[in-house]
Amino acid sequence: MGDQTRGKLNVHSYAAELQARLERGEPGNLVVHDPGPLVRHKLADEIFNLCRANSLWPMTFGLACCAIEMMSLGMARFDISRFGSEVFRPSPRQSDLMIVAGTVNKKMASAVMTLYDQMPSPKWVIAMGNCAISGGPFAVEENYNVIEGVDKLIPVDVYVPGCPPRPEGLLEGILKLQEKITGVRHPFPQRKISDAPSY
Amino acid sequence: MKIAVENNRNRADLVPAQDVPLDNHYYLNMGPQHPSTHGVLRVLLEMDGEYVVEAQPVLGYGHRMQEKMAEHKNWMAFMPNTGRMDYAAALPYNHGFVALFERLCGIEVPARAEYIRVITSELNRIVSHHLWLGAFLLDLGAFTPILYTFDDREQVLDILEDVTGSRLTYCYFRVGGVCRDIDDKFVERTRAFIKRQRERFEVYNKLVTGNIIFIKRAEGVGVISADMAMRYGVTGPVLRGSGIAYDIRKNEPYSIYPQLDFEIPTGTNGDSLDRYMVRLQEIEQSLRIIEQALDQLPKGPCLGKVPKKLKLPNGDGSFAVEAARGELTYYLVSGGGEIPYRLKIRVPSYSNLSVLPELGRGILLADLVTSMGSMDLVIPEIDR
Amino acid sequence: MHPATEKLIGALRSELSLEVRPCDYYQRGYHYEIEVEAGQLRTLAAILLQEKMFLVFVGGLHVKPAMRIIYQFASYERACRLLVRVPVAADNSLPTISDIYQGANWHERETRDFYGVNFVGHPYLKPLILAEEDVDLKPLLKKEADLKDLAEVSWTAPEAAESKTDQKRAELS
Repeated sequence: MGDQTRGKLNVHSYAAELQARLERGEPGNLVVHDPGPLVRHKLADEIFNLCRANSLWPMTFGLACCAIEMMSLGMARFDISRFGSEVFRPSPRQSDLMIVAGTVNKKMASAVMTLYDQMPSPKWVIAMGNCAISGGPFAVEENYNVIEGVDKLIPVDVYVPGCPPRPEGLLEGILKLQEKITGVRHPFPQRKISDAPSY
Repeated sequence: MKIAVENNRNRADLVPAQDVPLDNHYYLNMGPQHPSTHGVLRVLLEMDGEYVVEAQPVLGYGHRMQEKMAEHKNWMAFMPNTGRMDYAAALPYNHGFVALFERLCGIEVPARAEYIRVITSELNRIVSHHLWLGAFLLDLGAFTPILYTFDDREQVLDILEDVTGSRLTYCYFRVGGVCRDIDDKFVERTRAFIKRQRERFEVYNKLVTGNIIFIKRAEGVGVISADMAMRYGVTGPVLRGSGIAYDIRKNEPYSIYPQLDFEIPTGTNGDSLDRYMVRLQEIEQSLRIIEQALDQLPKGPCLGKVPKKLKLPNGDGSFAVEAARGELTYYLVSGGGEIPYRLKIRVPSYSNLSVLPELGRGILLADLVTSMGSMDLVIPEIDR
Repeated sequence: MHPATEKLIGALRSELSLEVRPCDYYQRGYHYEIEVEAGQLRTLAAILLQEKMFLVFVGGLHVKPAMRIIYQFASYERACRLLVRVPVAADNSLPTISDIYQGANWHERETRDFYGVNFVGHPYLKPLILAEEDVDLKPLLKKEADLKDLAEVSWTAPEAAESKTDQKRAELS
């Protein structure tokens, strides 16, 4: 990572800059790595992580086509609320998961960073779709406007590829995120049903 | 109580207030991230309490350089882009693009392919109107209808996914036809869907149309007169809600529309309720079109003979289709060769949204949300 | 020909002495084409508004020797699509028609974003689609090597008729 210069696009990588700042030992008023609670207790941490993983509230951040698949995920057929995301909060201050669904361009970049900063810790980011991962179909030679990947702006936890990914794909991304938070894929033991459909 | 808006600016003059606003005015920023699911639209509002003094949309948050990319790609490489401009109803965008190349280069399309194109485009129109219905009512605060409309959508998306391979951003049409043929299973499932959908209108009418709260929120709100529509170039259900029966499928028919029998629903007052009724009736008309097309479906190939390298003539051409949101026009200039010299894409939501500054003067903020919702905007199509 | 279209062509001929050329609608997608000078643009727009034509789009075309702006007008009542081509004035400017057709307000702002054409008299010619800092980017201007001559991108009259599509053409016109 570093500066992205291609054609007319020159984007300073925010995440790289923050990393460099931390390495230099500057205090920085931007939190990249959440240091965690002051007092640590293993059982309490496990319980809190279990609770957090099972009630991730996403922020409605649909930018383009992937937003429709994210909406489908919230609807009756694919139903994200059975995995804990009962509500999609429009306000970043009330959410803890930011699903970047769609293309981020130069004009939108500052809004993305502001919204990320407004979310309270602990917070996670899922980059949904090829545009959020690497610019997708718009990362071409003559690119002058599209940021090639939202991880040039904010730290990303899970990448969900697809153009657009199916709602089940995004659901898999959320399960992976739960695994990242708690260490176990689906924290509650489930009865294995052999012929059940995948969703 | 309506505030008197100063009329010393002329109608086209949409300069946001550069000077200090009056004592009780303040600026409110709506977007680019907001709970309405239109995409990334930002509206700068100068407000006086709950009334909008001036609404100035700020675009560009979804600009993805489609017109620039068209100058560097041949038609096959640009097809995925056409699916991603208006992702809710992508097949008419495919259609306009390939039909433009077919007309310019003189390529024959087999009859079966034309029928498949119309059937899938109309299914896509139904899908798009359902998405609009759910999102519009969600904007107004009704959380239940969106679950029903998305369920209907899923029925159609299953049918279309089997034949096109995608749920959303279709890239199914090719110059000369469509890339994959439909089979009996498709026809059977589509007929079952038509039957099911006709029964669903009952559900929507009971749940929404007769609802007194909905009527009070939508009737008389966001009135676009016919004269205003013409000055802004408004097309689509927004225009038809204002009483003008303009539909490319009847006005400048293309593909097999001349052989199909359907009506163009229009409204009378041009308010949000009329636009809602027009779209519901359009779903019914689309069902009629699909039924007739399935009855008349001929046998034959689904893709005509197309040369490997498609040579465009020296000159320009345009092609207009009726997309779900209005008139979509592609204009292409070429100097020979495979790659266009210039492709201009005229999208319907662009002109539809441009009425917002004039529409939004002196109305309540909640009414502004209703008007924008009833116009059925998709912002990435506006920003291209 | 529809009587309203005849009236329109008559008005254009008499007030602006314009040659309105009919085109092969099947191949080109529009019915008539006109070329106007920058100075005649506003009168043309006023006549078209009076004859109830709506503005479909305003687009730019970067060619040698002078950049051209393309306007397309159509009618709500009958099939009548009109393509207007205007070469820009020497100082890369054109008069605005946004007080006649309010829809042109945004179209002209976008054309300025992409091509740098100045629309004289436009109330607010700031970037519409590009970011504020990209006001001078003008991304759709062609590089010297790719820039084509006007003659290369224009139809040479008359176009050869395709025998296979003659029937379709007859059906549609």
